[in-house]
Amino acid sequence: MAVTEVYLRGQQAKLPGQLRIRSQMFKKVRGNTIMAALPLIVTALVLLAPLLAPHSPYTVAGPAFTPPGHGGFLLGSDSVGRDELSRVLYGMRASWLSALAVIASGLVVGVTIGTVAAVAGGWVDSLLMRFTDLFLSLPGPVLAIAVVAALGPSLLHTLIGVAIVWWPFYARIVRGEIRSLSARPHLEAAKMSGIGVMRRTLRHLLPGTFPALVVTASLDIGNLVLTLAGLSFLGLGSPAPSPELGAMSARNLTFLLQDYWTAVMPGIGILILALVGNISGDGLRGLMKDR
Amino acid sequence: MFKFVLKRIASAVGVVLALTVVLFILQKASNTNPVHAILGPNASAAAVKAETIKLGLNRPLLAQLFSYIGNLLQFNLGTSYRTRRPVSTDLAQYLPATVELALVALLIAVGLGLILGYISIKNGIPAKIFRGVLLVGASTPSYLISFAGLVLLYSHFHVLPATGEAGATQPFQGGFVIFDNLVNGNISGVWDGIVHVTLPALSIALVPAISIGRVFRSSLEATLRSDFVRTARSKGLSDQAVFLRHAIRNSIGPGLTMTGLQLGLMFAGVAVVEDIFAWPGIGYYTTESIPVSDFPAIAGVTLVLGVGYVFINALVDIAQSLADPRVKL
Repeated sequence: MAVTEVYLRGQQAKLPGQLRIRSQMFKKVRGNTIMAALPLIVTALVLLAPLLAPHSPYTVAGPAFTPPGHGGFLLGSDSVGRDELSRVLYGMRASWLSALAVIASGLVVGVTIGTVAAVAGGWVDSLLMRFTDLFLSLPGPVLAIAVVAALGPSLLHTLIGVAIVWWPFYARIVRGEIRSLSARPHLEAAKMSGIGVMRRTLRHLLPGTFPALVVTASLDIGNLVLTLAGLSFLGLGSPAPSPELGAMSARNLTFLLQDYWTAVMPGIGILILALVGNISGDGLRGLMKDR
Repeated sequence: MFKFVLKRIASAVGVVLALTVVLFILQKASNTNPVHAILGPNASAAAVKAETIKLGLNRPLLAQLFSYIGNLLQFNLGTSYRTRRPVSTDLAQYLPATVELALVALLIAVGLGLILGYISIKNGIPAKIFRGVLLVGASTPSYLISFAGLVLLYSHFHVLPATGEAGATQPFQGGFVIFDNLVNGNISGVWDGIVHVTLPALSIALVPAISIGRVFRSSLEATLRSDFVRTARSKGLSDQAVFLRHAIRNSIGPGLTMTGLQLGLMFAGVAVVEDIFAWPGIGYYTTESIPVSDFPAIAGVTLVLGVGYVFINALVDIAQSLADPRVKL
């Protein structure tokens, strides 16, 4: 009886503390999960842009230079009377999907090169890594500008130009991860039980590179959104009427001091997207650290 | 040590050589025919043929590549389709202004980065707010910072000028304004240059400063946990002394490497900011050349910046191995 009482008391004394630690951990994980999930919400929102936008981004909807909050324009109207909010929403859609496309292409190229290099080893490895280092040691945006200048300015060419310089880092990460995984006992066991190279790579090595890749890629979204916006500002993107955030800021630069919103709102659109990328990257990093 | 320096320089030369090959391939892949770009669309067939031979475009590709590299070694970067002048002449005119802007921006970025890194390792509410500011700052496009500066400091408070490299009293636009005036002992000219460079340089510097600050912060955190810092503290040194005498020198290396790497990323920002502030530099030259597909001009800019970037990073690596002999590449 006495023993049980002491035992119970001990349990009770312990319990609140344990619970507090649990709930703190839970809170942290929950916070990180929410942060990490933000890109999914943004992707859904930008895909719904046609439903969310109150007006068409191309047609005149009212008087020019209506200040934000007046005449039914939440973010005001631009120099010809188009709805700024609708244009920013469509522009965010273009920026976000472009950034995701470049990340996806970078991952495909980087993972392929990194995996082949790590699995093959020997001269294939040194050749591919020399090639990767070459791209890593060149200034990315400058090379992207040269590519676009050669192909002619358009959104597709800008994406190609940036994609050409955006894979080497992933290749390095994948190669490093695979090489450290290969030395682990479970890979040795897989090898000894006669599993072929292809299956070992696809089933046992590649999944192990996933955490590092996801964190890096999500941290890259913000950088990429900013880089693409800068190139679009320089006139490397789509031609005039299309709603592209960097180009919108550049074209409305002349109105900055009188009608600031025409130039500033597209920039804030970029800021939100880049912020979402950076926050989700931090959240994912926290989640991976907790594992 | 000597071997290390030699190896690092050899690899830099290799990278530059590869860059020239990449540019040559891009030039061939470009859908602008150089002959038509020079002669215009209405040139006669005979003139086109003569120009093709003059440019050597009828020769085998490999021969063209070698003469391209040979020309580059003699600083012959071709003729701009737009200005009709040698690209090297154009670059010599526009480069100094960009170098001055980039140097000031770099100085601000490093100083600000170190301060940001130092403040953000402290604990408590202010540091938390500060980290939030860092996160937002890292997500801000450089032109938005310029806009904020223009609206506040130029339009609202009238403390800084909006455009150009120097005021109307300065006859010469382009070139090193601050440096030239400093050499000539013209103090008001120096001040004028500083006033004009502040806003553009600040707009460029903020994003790299934040990257440098983040890297510096993580290396500082690692250093402050190390044994020699504990020893320094236990022998009674103040926080300040530990930081200045022991921690900062051992954690500045990664920050320096980051600075070198940021230079490449900075260029997109430089071009945007030069465009906004009508700064007579090569970013401005680039933005003028892009819409008319002036490939020789862009190739020249790419080459100059690429060479600068590669060699500065080589120098950073060498400097780092001098400062810390444990660093090996």
